[in-house]
Amino acid sequence: MADAILGTRIRQRRREIGTTQANLARQIGISASYLNLIEWNKRPIAGSLLHKIANALDLSADSLGGVSERRLLEALTEIAHLPSLEALKIEDGRTSELIGRFPGWARGLAALARSERDATSRAETLSDRLTNDPFLSENVHRMLSRIAAARSASEILNDYPDITPERRDRFNRIIYDEAQALSDVGEALVTYLDKSQDADRVLTPVDEVEAMFVARENHFADIEAAAIQLHDQLTDPQPISRREKAGALTDELLTDLFDKIINGETLLETSAARVRARRALRDYAVGAIIMPMTTFTSRATELRYDIEALADAFSAEVDAVCHRITSLPRGDDMPKFGYLRANAAGTIVEMLKLEGLAIPRYAAACPLWVLYRAQQSPEAVIRQRALFPSGARFVFVARARKQGPTGFGKPRHYITDMIAMTEEDARHTVYAPDPSAPVEEVGPSCRMCPRYTCLHRVEDPLTA
Amino acid sequence: MTKRVLLAEDELNIVESLSYLLEREGYEIFVETDGRKALQSAMDNVPDVLILDVMLPEMDGYEILRSLRADPRTAQLPILMLTAKGQAEDREMAFKLGADLFITKPFANADITDAVGQLAAGRPG
Repeated sequence: MADAILGTRIRQRRREIGTTQANLARQIGISASYLNLIEWNKRPIAGSLLHKIANALDLSADSLGGVSERRLLEALTEIAHLPSLEALKIEDGRTSELIGRFPGWARGLAALARSERDATSRAETLSDRLTNDPFLSENVHRMLSRIAAARSASEILNDYPDITPERRDRFNRIIYDEAQALSDVGEALVTYLDKSQDADRVLTPVDEVEAMFVARENHFADIEAAAIQLHDQLTDPQPISRREKAGALTDELLTDLFDKIINGETLLETSAARVRARRALRDYAVGAIIMPMTTFTSRATELRYDIEALADAFSAEVDAVCHRITSLPRGDDMPKFGYLRANAAGTIVEMLKLEGLAIPRYAAACPLWVLYRAQQSPEAVIRQRALFPSGARFVFVARARKQGPTGFGKPRHYITDMIAMTEEDARHTVYAPDPSAPVEEVGPSCRMCPRYTCLHRVEDPLTA
Repeated sequence: MTKRVLLAEDELNIVESLSYLLEREGYEIFVETDGRKALQSAMDNVPDVLILDVMLPEMDGYEILRSLRADPRTAQLPILMLTAKGQAEDREMAFKLGADLFITKPFANADITDAVGQLAAGRPG
């Protein structure tokens, strides 16, 4: 393919400098007929002949048919095969000639395609955010509630002239307070929407806290050091009691440490993010007290990261182990884990990301993920080999558990915890699938999935 | 006999306005600001009408609605769903779970008093 550019490029350049095939051939010491074959891509060239031709044409050998042309060829070939351009019947076989004869046009087309891809990607992100963003959703809800309270109070003042002075003052105060609150919500929304122009910045309190955890690789050394001192105070063998005790110790002894971490964290820009971060750090600390890292690391390795076995070993709850396992120290032989939690509605309520695994920020994940199927078999650990459209392979391990009090005749509610690892890392764990185990073709989410004919699709993709 | 209205709403300023309005209409108002307590209260002492916000702490309005309709004591309880979530699918969900009427925030006071009047008289919609 690259040689196809070369011949065309030689011919183009020869014409530019105004020389004939015969003259050029004589100059470089080959026959005119052989040069003709080269120019029409019937003969490959390389080495000293390539350099001789390049010199005769006053060009470098690289510029005749080097890396940049190959990349350009790849880019334009990809464009020629886009489904959206299929009807144009682009002459893919003439791409090399296009590059050779009209390099400027070729570079322009490639640049346009890159620009369109970037713009589409931004549009996808913004569309997804506007549709599913919890910050926007929450603040729009707050705005409507504020308006409702102010409107109702003002209608009362208008419709009931016989209202007592005390009540009148009370409703006037409500209107004043709600107007202030509405102003704050409006400002927050405007700030948020202004920031959304910068796609590299984190945009919501959830994003800010997630960024903080990602930057620390989900490991807080100060909290670990403090937690290990408190582990021995957990004397009750019951997981729920141990969690409550760890929570009480955290609330009593570690809040100053959380303040120090949060105040020193530049990624937390909003007060909402700082509040959320405090809750997340508390959960982290509770896990660290129950499962001190040094002991946890060695037991995890011994038990090959079996979440149920680890829960038994530490008298902890399985979901706490799933969190903790994502905090394991990074190392070449240490598998890396991501974590998701989904409620019965399918909403991902918590996530700790795994590099390379595309998890939708705001929408539900692909319905084929075992994250959802687990709710059909509560308390059972279910493994899935997942193959993504990109070719990436992951192993998902999910378990649904009961949430809230139950009793005969009362509805049961389940929540699912899922850990994720690459198939490569899964080999270090009990979850390593047999090579013959079936692989399921999944996507990140319907809106971001190119498996257009998937029978389980619940939403149209953002791009077709 | 005075009709009893249970108001399950956590926005206190809205509670104050609705309580004032409905008391003027002659209803006796009981308030719960927590979803779980609202459900318990409705079951223990079934009101004549329930005004139920969707976004409640501890248990959301849909969950409460589902539980109420599953219990013979409250299966026929007239329920007005009140919410800022006004999308078509929210309305559909509310009616599917058994709400009698659905009003979105912000609302006109007259809409609330009319709706409660209809439900109290046994004539929803």
